[in-house]
Amino acid sequence: MHLQHQCGTRPALRATHRLTSPHQAADLAAGFDRAACTELADTALRLARIAGAGYADIRVGCNQTEFFYAREDKLQAVQYALEVGFGVRVLMNGSWGFAGSSTLAEAEVERMVARAVENARASARIQGAPIVIEDLPAYREDWIMPLKTDPLQIATDVKAAHLLAVNAAAMRSGADFCSATLHTVREQRFFASTRGSAIFQNRLRTSPGFTATATNKDTGKFVTRDSLAAPRGAGWDYVESCDLVAEAALAGAEVREKLAAKSVAPGAYDLVIDPTNLFLTIHESIGHSTELDRALGWEADFAGTSFITPDKLGKLQIGSPLMTVIADRSQEGGLATVGFDDDGARTAGQEFPIVENGVFKNYQMAMGQAQYIGRDASNGCAYCDSPAAFPIQRMPNISLQPNPQKTSIDDLIGGIERGIYIKGAGSWSIDQQRDNFQFSGQLFYEIKGGKLGPMLRDVAYQSRTVSFWNAMDGLGDSSTYVLGGSFFCGKGQPMQLAPVSHGAPAARFRGITVLNTEREDA
Amino acid sequence: MLLSPYEIKDLTDRRLAASRADGCIVLVDGREKVNLRFARNSATSNGARSTVDVTIISQFGQQSGGASVSSLDEAALEEAQRRSEEIARRTPADPEHMPPLGPQSYAEGIAFDAATAGARAGRLADAAHVAIAGAQEAGVDAAGFVEAGASFSAMATSAGLFAYDRGTVADLTVSARRKDGSWSGWAGGSQHRIDELAPDRIARRAIGKAAHAGEPFDLDPGQYTVILEPAAVGELLGFLLWSFDAREADEGRSWLSGKGGATRLGEHLLDRRVTLTSSPADPLAPVGTFGREGLPNRPTAWVEDGAIRTMFCARFWAAKTGREPRPAPGGMVMAGGPTGVDEMIRATKRGVLVTRIWYANMLDPRSLLITGLTRDGNFLIENGRIAGPARNFRFNESLIAMLGNIDAIGPTERINGGDMGVGALAAPPLLVKSFNFASRSSSI
Repeated sequence: MHLQHQCGTRPALRATHRLTSPHQAADLAAGFDRAACTELADTALRLARIAGAGYADIRVGCNQTEFFYAREDKLQAVQYALEVGFGVRVLMNGSWGFAGSSTLAEAEVERMVARAVENARASARIQGAPIVIEDLPAYREDWIMPLKTDPLQIATDVKAAHLLAVNAAAMRSGADFCSATLHTVREQRFFASTRGSAIFQNRLRTSPGFTATATNKDTGKFVTRDSLAAPRGAGWDYVESCDLVAEAALAGAEVREKLAAKSVAPGAYDLVIDPTNLFLTIHESIGHSTELDRALGWEADFAGTSFITPDKLGKLQIGSPLMTVIADRSQEGGLATVGFDDDGARTAGQEFPIVENGVFKNYQMAMGQAQYIGRDASNGCAYCDSPAAFPIQRMPNISLQPNPQKTSIDDLIGGIERGIYIKGAGSWSIDQQRDNFQFSGQLFYEIKGGKLGPMLRDVAYQSRTVSFWNAMDGLGDSSTYVLGGSFFCGKGQPMQLAPVSHGAPAARFRGITVLNTEREDA
Repeated sequence: MLLSPYEIKDLTDRRLAASRADGCIVLVDGREKVNLRFARNSATSNGARSTVDVTIISQFGQQSGGASVSSLDEAALEEAQRRSEEIARRTPADPEHMPPLGPQSYAEGIAFDAATAGARAGRLADAAHVAIAGAQEAGVDAAGFVEAGASFSAMATSAGLFAYDRGTVADLTVSARRKDGSWSGWAGGSQHRIDELAPDRIARRAIGKAAHAGEPFDLDPGQYTVILEPAAVGELLGFLLWSFDAREADEGRSWLSGKGGATRLGEHLLDRRVTLTSSPADPLAPVGTFGREGLPNRPTAWVEDGAIRTMFCARFWAAKTGREPRPAPGGMVMAGGPTGVDEMIRATKRGVLVTRIWYANMLDPRSLLITGLTRDGNFLIENGRIAGPARNFRFNESLIAMLGNIDAIGPTERINGGDMGVGALAAPPLLVKSFNFASRSSSI
């Protein structure tokens, strides 16, 4: 996944022309031509209406991705990709039908509308509960993510030199190997529906990172230390602000130290979890458990269901009173930040609490779901990873709010007699109803008598969602807050990958089970 | 979008002729698939999807750059080609760079079926209907996914290589849940020929597990004798697909790295009955006919009789270390044995039958220590019979230890690998002793 030729190196707006040949379709791919998008959409929606669809929508899009990979002192890959396509969705007599293609041509739109209609008719045979959708308002707007420096406009050799400098810094300070990556995605999408919506959107995300490795050939042991930098909805200026070269210099020494660190003794510990680790615990235990499609059983075959069933809405004390979690698609730098979701629902001003003072308050919803919990409408959480994929409910940015009382990481550590401080995301796993989880990390430090001690290794913490979040008795203030995230949250069948951010302050948890992950007998 | 070798050759010839670089590689991939989903005994979503992707890699000396576009439009391809050249000219030279590979000889692909390539939503709805009707009759809810279609992959180089492969796949998975959510069962199937998918058999297995009488036993975590059904074994074998890398082993960062800088090639690390192979001609799970660098996939034993026999090796590392270059396996087959699951149950005094595992992740790549959870069909076995459902567990277990603790092996089956995008896999059921269940999972 991943690529670029500035969809915008040609004028974003062109004179109207007819999309009757693949050649013209290529022009659309290169320029994301507004008039051409509109024309394709008009054709699709008109044909859907003629076929008898009560509702239809179309997404026409262009994803540009660029991916750099360097190992040690060698730049080994630079890949640019341009993915164009469209997807038509029709609702006919209570059944969805969907079809998508990477060929942007009028004849292909006609073929795919016919396939969508055919799919809806085939689904009708097994449509026990008709699909019913709420009447979302129509919008005719553009939304463009604010961007300082477009990474796709930065010269290849500049980006290459940056990654090689990262690797060199890690190697100089103790790493045996280091690989660095830079991944950029620009997502441009046009949405139109039979309700009259016509929405153009343009956003960009960047993910810089590296992995430093230390080995001991005498013993056969090896350890790694990943960068703590987060992917963001931001540009090259963000990449520079991460100062990965400085972090890599630190990481080279740390990975060497980790190789020789004391292996943790398993048992119950108090933990201070850094936001660079906690973001992923929020994602897995709070983000996925509060997806309404899961709670309704719609994802039972693969992604799973949720232990948070609708009867718990407004009642479940999911965490301590310190815990408030807000969902938004408006946070600056958020990977899920966008003006309208892929159902065409406006997201600005739709921020909502998922957890308020420890109480579960709301689910994430896409179109057609709110009625099942007595609500009026979607809260803007639909997404498809390609214009040619069916939109499903995906996470907005979901963030744990910082403590309004001044509280530093040192304050949190100071309240612990015997514990561990955990930084960075490592191995992660959670059950299919989002209850039993186990997470590792990148860096672990012993806490003794309120002070940070030496590094540990082989640490993983295991808990259950409700007991873990109710064991939180300390929360950092906004000075400890970091917006973490991932490009690759998988869900759905066929699996779709969604980008999502999670902000978190540092937090303290009491009496959490810690395992040792080294297996000497193998 | 599906293209014939002739159509692709026409395209790649034009791109190779238009190249301004010292070397040029053109990759073309496409697919045409349709899927249908259902849950709570009713349709949820579906989709037909037709895509094509052309990647052009340009090389100037040791400089290289790639650009791709999801279009066959000549102007778009021209733009991608010029972009790949522009990228290549601006990248630093890579001393590990290898020039394009010349002509190779490939096996004939066996994984294409015209009926599967042409399957439409109506055929999928037939399969889903079987599952839903069966679930309704048994008083449970069915959720599932059925997909069919075809894909191709092609590669051409300025050194004269041309490779083309195509295949079809039809997958069906069914999860059945009791109406009160108190238990669940899963079954799945994957075939190259949709006619062999057997939706009725898959649905019956899933529904039978969900509808099994009794409330789940609440067992303590600990070490158990387990019967891992083929889906569970296959999911774990997926971790091995990329773990036979010769370079990582040489560099001391692999489970195949030995002490003192050597590799563990040739060592008997696993039970003597463990044999892992891949082949484009495998009747159950054929891999593609060529790998990443255009190298042919040949029949390969990665593990034979418990010993590590082969590691894959990219062209650069092969040249540097004097090995034969070999692509990573695009799939894997574990050799079967004579003991069926029923016989394993009869032979077990106390143990747990595991249907499927979920969210497996690597904890320690040195010992191949994996964590994950059981799901959709855990059963307690007592005195040679199924005593009833048993609540799910999280496991933390080393694959090396697991494949060394085998008591019995059953017949190999093709595994559905579609959800996670792993390659073709086939695995047998295994009877394994001392499997480490680390904590309870109350989830259904």
